[in-house]
Amino acid sequence: MQNYTPRKCYTPYVSPFDPCPPQKVKSYETPPHLYMGYQPYGLPQFSPQEALCAGTLWPALYNPYYSPYKPHQRQEEAE
Amino acid sequence: MHKQLPKEFYVLMQELQAVDFVLLELTLYLDTHPNDQEAIQQFNHFVQASKQLKQQVEQIYGPLQQYGNSFSGYPWNWSEGPWPWQI
Repeated sequence: MQNYTPRKCYTPYVSPFDPCPPQKVKSYETPPHLYMGYQPYGLPQFSPQEALCAGTLWPALYNPYYSPYKPHQRQEEAE
Repeated sequence: MHKQLPKEFYVLMQELQAVDFVLLELTLYLDTHPNDQEAIQQFNHFVQASKQLKQQVEQIYGPLQQYGNSFSGYPWNWSEGPWPWQI
C-alpha cells in the first residue's frame, strides 16, 4: 500500500470518553535506509561541510524531520 | 588568564570537524564495503587532511590529544585553557 513513502499513517483507537478532541489519524517517519537494503557503491556525496550539517555523507540517506502539523515549513526550505 | 584565540582558529576547527565527520562516515561505510577501493582512497585522502589540520590547530591551540598523540609546547601546555567547552 504505502510501503514506499517516508511517512506512514495509522488510526489510533479513540475512546468514547476522550476529554479532548481526538486525533483520528497519526503519522510517523521511516528513514530512507530502510528501503535501501545494502547501500549501493559510489553514491553521490555531500561536501564535508554540508555532511557535518546534514548528519550524513550521502544525500540519499539524508532525512530531515518536518512536523506533519506544519507543512508550510517544508515548502519554505525548498525555496 | 584566558587565552585569546584568533579568528582563523575557528575556521580551521570547523574544517577539522567536517573532515573528521567524513572519516567517521567512511569508517562505518567501509565496515560493510571493505572492497570499495575508491572509498578507501577517499578515506586515506581525508586522513591526510585531518592530520594536517590537527597540526595547524595544535599550533594555535596547544595539544588536542594526550598520551603521546600530540606534541607539547614549552612550558608543558596540556593543562592550559581554554578548555574545549570554553572555546
